[in-house]
Amino acid sequence: MSGMTLSDKVIDAHAIDDDTTLYRKVNVDAVLGPDATIALLIDSFEKRGLSVWDKDKVLLANDHFSPPATAEHADIANRFLAFARGLNMPNLLLDRGICHQLMIEHKLCQAGGLIVGADSHTIMAGGVSACATGMGATDITFTLATGTTWLRRPETIAVRFHGELPEQSSGRDIVLELLRLLGESGARYRTLEFHDESVTRLCQDDRFAISNMAVEIGAKFGVFVPDEITEAYYVERDGEFLGIKVRPDADARYERVIDVDLSELDARVAKPWQPSNVVALRELEPVKITTAFLGSCASGRLGDIEAAANELAGRQVHPNVRFVVIPASVEVFKKALRAGYVETLTDAGAIFNHSSCGACGGIDKGVLGADDICVSSSNRNFRGRMGHWESQTYLASPRTVARAALRGELAPDLYAEAR
Amino acid sequence: MTETPTRTGTVTGRIWLFGDDMNTDVIHPPAFFSLDPEKVKRGLFHGYDPTIQPNIQPNDIIVGGRNFGCGSSRETSIRAIKLNKIGAIIAIDFARIFFRNATNNGLPCLPLADPADLAKLTAGQRITVDPFAATLTTEAGETVALESPGEFISQIWAAGGLLQMLPGSPAE
Repeated sequence: MSGMTLSDKVIDAHAIDDDTTLYRKVNVDAVLGPDATIALLIDSFEKRGLSVWDKDKVLLANDHFSPPATAEHADIANRFLAFARGLNMPNLLLDRGICHQLMIEHKLCQAGGLIVGADSHTIMAGGVSACATGMGATDITFTLATGTTWLRRPETIAVRFHGELPEQSSGRDIVLELLRLLGESGARYRTLEFHDESVTRLCQDDRFAISNMAVEIGAKFGVFVPDEITEAYYVERDGEFLGIKVRPDADARYERVIDVDLSELDARVAKPWQPSNVVALRELEPVKITTAFLGSCASGRLGDIEAAANELAGRQVHPNVRFVVIPASVEVFKKALRAGYVETLTDAGAIFNHSSCGACGGIDKGVLGADDICVSSSNRNFRGRMGHWESQTYLASPRTVARAALRGELAPDLYAEAR
Repeated sequence: MTETPTRTGTVTGRIWLFGDDMNTDVIHPPAFFSLDPEKVKRGLFHGYDPTIQPNIQPNDIIVGGRNFGCGSSRETSIRAIKLNKIGAIIAIDFARIFFRNATNNGLPCLPLADPADLAKLTAGQRITVDPFAATLTTEAGETVALESPGEFISQIWAAGGLLQMLPGSPAE
């Protein structure tokens, strides 16, 4: 009998039944609900006369339509807010940022916990060792009413990071490299279990960027094995470590083990229109850009904004480029303000939008037209997602986004110049 | 909405054929996200090919390659497919969230038992799918095996979706 992986243990700890077939019924520790998808379930929830199993365990946030750009979006947002307020939901966060960032800023997110959310990037809480996964409105209706869901026990792929990450590279370059290696379905239905054995150690923001895009590889969970960096994050947030450090057994059964040497990893870029269409930046044909976007739940955190500010300090964004920055949450924005990054980037010609999903999902303020070519720190460059069907989006790290914004193009020699 | 298949029900319709990694933003562009069913319905495959949606007939069948439905959890992609009365989806395999969303709404998603059989299916071809028996039959009478849904998924289909299993308490 071989040992258990991290997600095996978390699922076991939450299982309701002893059913050993493909699907298990489990209790969840927390539910995350953004405005757009929660709005889809309200009619059904109310018609069935359902009630919420435990209101304290539900985090609701309007982030898609925050603030709304159209009357239709306002109506959807208002429906969501009326629902949440009508139920006296204690954890309704109004215009505070992207729900996935708000979840990892909230006490409901704990190491070793099992979290479901009505948006695919719920998986990001794996960056701080929670088993978190996205679902649709019907699943979330069921979970809101019962505190339970059904899960297929995932096989696990262990990913071990080694070596020293070059200073100019980040978690984004790492996860884009994983997408190059595994493709869009390489971790379909699996857990990606991340082991940080690197010399330099990945900072927490890099871990969130990696876990966030694990869903782009098809994963159910993208979870870091807890370590001292995980613990430090929770201690800073909560004053103490309240979670459970669930570690895989030494003889855990993995479908596959992938060793990634970070030492050689330079900038990576995903070309249109697939997040797995990844090449090394140095191999890319130069392409003129019209738009640079730094934001989204994938990479709108303080370290990302800091990297861009360091690149743009005392310089000017290329006159042909619109550079849009959206901090992942209001808390992140306040920290960026205090650190002076907002002023630095604004002086350089970047514009700040309110913390929300924004242009990432083609929702507002930065949506692309047919001729736009965008380099983005977001998580998906699917065709038509950020706007017009003919528009093109390249995915890259915040530092590469900033360098391309300065140069007016994504070019193989963006890093030839020291900064 | 489509008729819920009973445990003996079959679906007969024409094939709409797609490739690998058909993502949810291509299936249903974010610009069509709405609570208005007519708008959601019109958005199906709109960016990919706006001539598809007006020509879909009830019980038509979507056939895809690998990783059908990757991307977002927005259930409007499933709603759009159901509002257009698609009867079933066949693919080499499905993305996880899409499969859950479809299943939870009683829309059968069936992987091919042998991926090589995809070559036997062509756009516009008329086929009959028996979700519970996990078979597909062409007009020429050829039978193609699909992956069995198993008892758990069959229960959800037969109930007409996950919420039908909610008697106000945890479903059993």
